[in-house]
Amino acid sequence: MNPKILILIGFMALSLAMMGIAVILPVGFAFSIIRVVLLILAVIFDVLAFASRYYTYLMLPFLKQHSRNIVISDQPPYWISTTGDCIVRKEGDIYTATAYINIPLYVSSSEMTDEEKLRFANQVSRLVGLSRDPVRFSSELYLMNKDDYLQKLKDNISEMEDAEAKLIDKKAPENELEHVKGKLSMWRKMLDTMSNNISFELGTFATVSSKGVKEFEAITIVQQKAKELMNGIATTLGIPPNIVTGNDILKYVEPEYLIPYTTITEQISRNIQHEVS
Amino acid sequence: MDEEAIMYIAFTMVVLLIGISLLQYFGRGLIEVLCFFIIVAGVLLILILNFADFILMSVVAGLFNITFQPAQNYKITKDQNAIVKNVNGLFYATGYVTANLFAYTFKIETESADEDEKMISAPENWERAIMNIDFPLKYHVLSMGLDVQKVRDEYEGKRSYQEFQMSRALQSPTVNDMTLTEIQRKINVIQRKIDRISQGEKPIATAMYMETTAIGVSEKAALDTLNRQISGLQISMSSMDVDLTRIVGREMQVLFGFNFALPTTFEEASSYFDQQN
Repeated sequence: MNPKILILIGFMALSLAMMGIAVILPVGFAFSIIRVVLLILAVIFDVLAFASRYYTYLMLPFLKQHSRNIVISDQPPYWISTTGDCIVRKEGDIYTATAYINIPLYVSSSEMTDEEKLRFANQVSRLVGLSRDPVRFSSELYLMNKDDYLQKLKDNISEMEDAEAKLIDKKAPENELEHVKGKLSMWRKMLDTMSNNISFELGTFATVSSKGVKEFEAITIVQQKAKELMNGIATTLGIPPNIVTGNDILKYVEPEYLIPYTTITEQISRNIQHEVS
Repeated sequence: MDEEAIMYIAFTMVVLLIGISLLQYFGRGLIEVLCFFIIVAGVLLILILNFADFILMSVVAGLFNITFQPAQNYKITKDQNAIVKNVNGLFYATGYVTANLFAYTFKIETESADEDEKMISAPENWERAIMNIDFPLKYHVLSMGLDVQKVRDEYEGKRSYQEFQMSRALQSPTVNDMTLTEIQRKINVIQRKIDRISQGEKPIATAMYMETTAIGVSEKAALDTLNRQISGLQISMSSMDVDLTRIVGREMQVLFGFNFALPTTFEEASSYFDQQN
């Protein structure tokens, strides 16, 4: 039987049992107090029976763990499929594969006439109604990833600092030292400018999922669905959408890819320096 | 309210009704009154859980300082309004806000003359809103195509019922103009929906929401920034005419799960959204 129904029946039975015990208790003031306590317990169990409709997934870990930090799952929420074009999640015996489709929209209303704006708005309305299956269309505003570039700048600075130290050690001529100092100053200024400004990118994507009792089944179905959806998007908007693959999927899933680590830590340390000085 | 909710309410209310019928066995006078109020409190709690469980659960979690771990490295805060991820000592807090754009268009009686103007200004309004935002944001539209014939039959049934109400009101000797106008308005709204379907518009069900992520060197800093960002959204999105409500509790966890796996049927999707818009 479904564990949800079992929990409902269990709590209701407990509630009725409490009431039954209260009723068969002997007459007397002391027993009246016990009856009230039993009734309160019966009502609590009945409310819990109702709450089990939504919160079965919380009740079982809560009862097992006796902790204020309830661990519903300590597993990663998904993994990237071996085909690399979707992510897979397992709940119970069911696998759910989810594909992400990038929609390369590079248009701005500032470059459109009123007719073009109307046509575009209608195209977007049609896009939303493309599929019978649930599809999620999303616009994502995220921080431009400057991690690699900032790291390169930092490497250059370390290299120049190293070179400067070596030149000082071997008492090199002044012009050579000045040359290295100049380069060092240039890289530092570039790092300063790059990490002071945050730039944003706007991306559009669609998400579609499918279920299967085997991982490959879910993946195959989602690939098929994604292809159909891509055809629909291409026809409606006249642009070539593409399935997002590999680690690029993480940009749409994980928060740290929305706000890249080095880019933002640089920004945070600048802010702290600014506040301190 | 769906069948499952009715079933849960019916079963749990039967238990409380049994309690009321047994009141005389719990004691007399004050004890009986006390027991009656305990049962009434139970009824109220069940009704609150049914219509606004997200309020009750966030209060309970906040009161007892309960946090949840829905997956590895993720944590749902005690206020049940944000999900925090710890990545190498940096905290990424994500919050969700409802942003329903289309609801109002289905509530008007007649096609307004400036509908085209609204569509023309939509891309501009969107760009203006996005340009005012200086933090990461995702705007999601989860759409599901509905069965055209089924939806049409449903609307025709509703129209017939309203027409029956109208003929009954006309035959009544105590009929007033306000009642007739109200019924006529309802008929017009339904007729407009039928007309739109007849014109080739596909009926779809949508759930629209926004997701924003904030970063901080501590959990509190991230959550404070997140709260500021969500307040900022109210201002930035003012040109879009959307009603923004912060999503808390179970439905927030559902939306968090949508990043990894979407529902695959309309029935599955609609079972998740019944309370917070």
